[in-house]
Amino acid sequence: MAAVSPKERVVVVSQSSLLVFLYIFLYFPIFFIIYVSFVDNTVWPFPPVFTWEWYERLWIMSDFHLGLLNSFLIGIGTGALSSIFAASAAIGLLKYQSRLRGLFAVLYLSPLFVAGILIGISSLMFHRNILGLPGNLTSAILANTTQALSFAFLVILAQLTRYDWRMDEAAMVFGARPARCFWEVTLPTIWPSVLGAFLVSFILAFNNLEVTFYNVGAIPTLPTIAWGTLRHGIEPELYSLATVINGLVFFILIILFFLIRLGFVRLGYRGQ
Amino acid sequence: MSAALPHHLTSLQLRDIAMTEPALKLEQVEKSFDKVRAVDKVSLEVNTGEFFSLLGPSGSGKTTLLRIIAGLETPGNGTVHIGGRDVTRLPPYARGIGMVFQDFLLFPHKIVADNIIFPLKMQRLPEDKQKEQLNWILSLVRMEGYEDRYPHQLSGGQKQRVALARGLVSRPDILLLDEPLANLDLELRKEMEVEMRRFQAELDIPFIYVTHNQEEALTLSSRMAVMHNGKFEQVGAKLDLYNNPKTRFVAAFLGSPNYIQGQIKRMEGTIAILDWRGLDLRIPAPANATSGDKIDYFLKHERILIQSLRESEPAKGENRFEGTLRDIIFKGQHSAYFVVLENGEELVVNAATEMPSLKIRHAVEVGWLPEAGDAFLKEED
Ligand SMILES: Nc1ncnc2c1ncn2[C@@H]1O[C@H](COP(=O)(O)OP(=O)(O)OP(=O)(O)O)[C@@H](O)[C@H]1O
Ligand SMILES: [Mg+2]
Repeated sequence: MAAVSPKERVVVVSQSSLLVFLYIFLYFPIFFIIYVSFVDNTVWPFPPVFTWEWYERLWIMSDFHLGLLNSFLIGIGTGALSSIFAASAAIGLLKYQSRLRGLFAVLYLSPLFVAGILIGISSLMFHRNILGLPGNLTSAILANTTQALSFAFLVILAQLTRYDWRMDEAAMVFGARPARCFWEVTLPTIWPSVLGAFLVSFILAFNNLEVTFYNVGAIPTLPTIAWGTLRHGIEPELYSLATVINGLVFFILIILFFLIRLGFVRLGYRGQ
Repeated sequence: MSAALPHHLTSLQLRDIAMTEPALKLEQVEKSFDKVRAVDKVSLEVNTGEFFSLLGPSGSGKTTLLRIIAGLETPGNGTVHIGGRDVTRLPPYARGIGMVFQDFLLFPHKIVADNIIFPLKMQRLPEDKQKEQLNWILSLVRMEGYEDRYPHQLSGGQKQRVALARGLVSRPDILLLDEPLANLDLELRKEMEVEMRRFQAELDIPFIYVTHNQEEALTLSSRMAVMHNGKFEQVGAKLDLYNNPKTRFVAAFLGSPNYIQGQIKRMEGTIAILDWRGLDLRIPAPANATSGDKIDYFLKHERILIQSLRESEPAKGENRFEGTLRDIIFKGQHSAYFVVLENGEELVVNAATEMPSLKIRHAVEVGWLPEAGDAFLKEED
């Protein structure tokens, strides 16, 4: 190995420590809560006394199963709506050249810059007062879609900018009507980004508290249960609940990772 | 050997033969983009069985015209008829045409077989018929055995064959080709030129072939049009365009001729005597030319005689000049001889390669009859 000067060593060491510090900063809270969810002595969990008790309590908690199901439903509904709307929006934006393109794009993205709680409250008012929609799953899905749509739009737009629209023209010359073009040519090329958009929106909605909270009425979801539990002080069930939520989200990410690794999904179609 | 046609096609063929309408008719077609007039009052008839080339420099509107024929652009004015049917307002998928694109535009997620049968699938042809057609076209373009490959697993030439197969498989009324060979290297291009002619002759489908490569157009087509600034400069048989250019642009473009500029000293009937930087040059007088007019004269390389000094007597009225042979560039069967004349101008002469009497830096003689070149009044602009 080449000799390393003391000065270089200082640089390397300080950079590595910064990196390690950053990762601890990012992941310590998450791993800590996972760790704590498995121990009996939650206040000062060292040395650990392992237990399944918090999971057992979670399991018999009346709202847990319903909350899990509802979170799933909100995630799937939001994921489906967001990816479909975002795909249509991105396709329209890129396919039909307009001077107002930039404006349209910003309008799709602006929910990103609005506080979630504002989206939650304003959706509540809109749904209740204008649409006459009571707080329920539908209302929560619609409200979450306003936010998730922006993320989904970004994900799809990133891939779609590299799509060659002359491919559609070729299909059209060979007899494909526009809908057929979409199914035969556009979608098979861009579906990885649509799937990506679906998963991102799913996770956002699944995890969401502030938008869901205002719109879901009295129906429990995992984050609202967590919030409800918190009001009685931090109960150990909260740790196991957080671990379950994180576990599910990581599980989805791992699926996505393997899809990419095994070549079923190519994020970003790279042309011929 | 070409594959036999599946017999269900015979009736189509008969219909083609019976058809008296031109395969394609354009009338006063126009298209503007903002301020650019991309296609300007173009009229054209192409008949069944013709190999028609659209030749023009970059930006002359060739692609736009092709896209109008395909239905991918709507003309601002004018009509498009395909096989006697007015298709001006029809979308591309209702026009029954085939097309080959410059960068092939094969569907990257479909295997070769699915790329090729795509047009048949859109026509909802029964699957056994699709298979039959596929095998027939695969053997025509010599791509048997590649059915299951993806486009990215093919070489440029193979992609081109697949693109051609996809364009031809449904035996369209007309095949449009937009610079299909532009992305291939020279050797492959020569090979594909031959193939292209073979497909066209065997299928008897009219080809509209866009290119900015004049050699390609001259090699391939029966008739051609030279396009410039959205307009047709001249349309006709390729030899006619080559030999009798009607406009200055066509004369300057086809054959990349020697360009001679001068001013008319005096007229001698149909001949004008040009002052060509101190040399007297006899040229055919353009219509309405008078002495004092500035002239552009285009002289093709192969129309010039080159020999050693006084090897032969000049014919009556022939231009004869002495000069120095600066260089010879070997090009195979012929060579390009670069001759510097006494007035300092350089002429390129194409002649046979075996000319032992001509030596670099020695004096030579060049000669040509006035009609060998094409003279035009200089355009004021
Ligand atoms: N979609 C468009 N918007 C604006 N201008 C266009 C558009 N398409 C073509 N043009 C303009 O129209 C003119 C003709 O373009 P066209 O592509 O038909 O030329 P071309 O002869 O095919 O050139 P090339 O040999 O470079 O392909 C050009 O000046 C071009 O800039
Ligand atoms: Mg072009």
